[in-house]
Amino acid sequence: MSDVRKIVIQDPKKRTSREEEIFQILHDVQDAEFDIDIVDMGLIYGVHFDHKKQSVIVDMTFTSMSCPAVDFMSDDVVERLISEKDIKDVSINVVWDPPWNQEMLSQDGVKGLNDWGVIKWV
Amino acid sequence: MFNLKEESFVENRLKEDKYIEELSMMSPKYLDGIKKILTVSADTELVSAPAYYLAAKDAPTTNAFISAMGIIQDELGHAHIAYRLMEDLGINKEEFIYERDPKSFRYPYAFDVPLVTWTELAVANAFYDRAGFVLLDDVFGNTTFGPWKRALVKVGKEEGFHLRHGETWMKKLVKDPVGKERLQKALDWMFPLTVEWFGLPDSLKTQNIQLEYGFKGQSNDQLRQTWMSTAVPLAESLGLKVPAHYCENKKKYVLEYPFPCKFDAQEKKWLFSEGEIPWIEPNSDGYSVMKRWKKRGEMNEEFVEILQKGHKQVCQMLER
Repeated sequence: MSDVRKIVIQDPKKRTSREEEIFQILHDVQDAEFDIDIVDMGLIYGVHFDHKKQSVIVDMTFTSMSCPAVDFMSDDVVERLISEKDIKDVSINVVWDPPWNQEMLSQDGVKGLNDWGVIKWV
Repeated sequence: MFNLKEESFVENRLKEDKYIEELSMMSPKYLDGIKKILTVSADTELVSAPAYYLAAKDAPTTNAFISAMGIIQDELGHAHIAYRLMEDLGINKEEFIYERDPKSFRYPYAFDVPLVTWTELAVANAFYDRAGFVLLDDVFGNTTFGPWKRALVKVGKEEGFHLRHGETWMKKLVKDPVGKERLQKALDWMFPLTVEWFGLPDSLKTQNIQLEYGFKGQSNDQLRQTWMSTAVPLAESLGLKVPAHYCENKKKYVLEYPFPCKFDAQEKKWLFSEGEIPWIEPNSDGYSVMKRWKKRGEMNEEFVEILQKGHKQVCQMLER
């Protein structure tokens, strides 16, 4: 049986320099409840920039399928990226596979959630 | 009967900067005060659930409905936390929630006025939840009751999400001229109602055990200012007219209407032109804010009935 799953978490080494910049820009977008951003939260799986079309597709997940903040966190991503001069169109590709888990957190994300008393990892 | 401590025990413990952790550390005065503030907090969270649900039914998308239901679930969780703490203070929780008369519930009058549209829910999240956030953040920073302080870590995060939900939807709705008009209409009645949320002005507070015993840190007027310091700039940033502004001379936010004044709840309209009314003793026309609050509003009985109905039905079924 063939594996129909796509490996969707982007290898950072395969990002173009502009894609890497866009990925870093997404540090500006905050999680819905915690005072850490969506990149550190591990919600961004990939960034695909089309220079000619001036468009971006963001592969994004959420901590659960019933997350009540799907709409407005997506809106926040669009609002932030559309303010870039070379971006005219932003699409959010919601990804559920692989599902988000605590290992998706960056080191700053772990520290942030530790500080908030939400997880105890260290 | 449990023996409570003398006042001096509580006073000495607070002087040493130690929390009151349980009933055995409380004096009668402390117990009475903490029960009162917890009742207001628990009842407010509980009644917000049916109040928000009424408007959540107007959600424009399934995901928006999930967001609203997520908020309602959070509010019920917050109510549960406060009632649980009260149970440890000797309150019979079941009786307290399910057998109380609707008029005995202690929550802001604002929730007695029905929220019926998605726009009103957005403004409620941005204004009412902001008021809840301001009040509970103050409690979190200042309360001397340890178990409540620890429980509020979770509550604060969730309230932050609620008010952000409101702000996001206000920003979205304001882009459309009709949406902006609806937002303005909602703001016109909901802004003054939230200003009232913080209670009597400091000048009329005869005793302030809540401050003396550190159940909270800021006075009513200070909390009102804290709320306005973010609510007014939010409205202004969206191009909405808000009847308050920051006065450089007074170094505080000032209201641009008689405060307090009459409110026509049926029409959702403030009668600014009829001038100021008293807070406590009714004027010659029979109006006062306290009289309106005590009488409660249109939705009081209906919301409490929604909350109590299921429990009563199951109890009757099990008795058969």
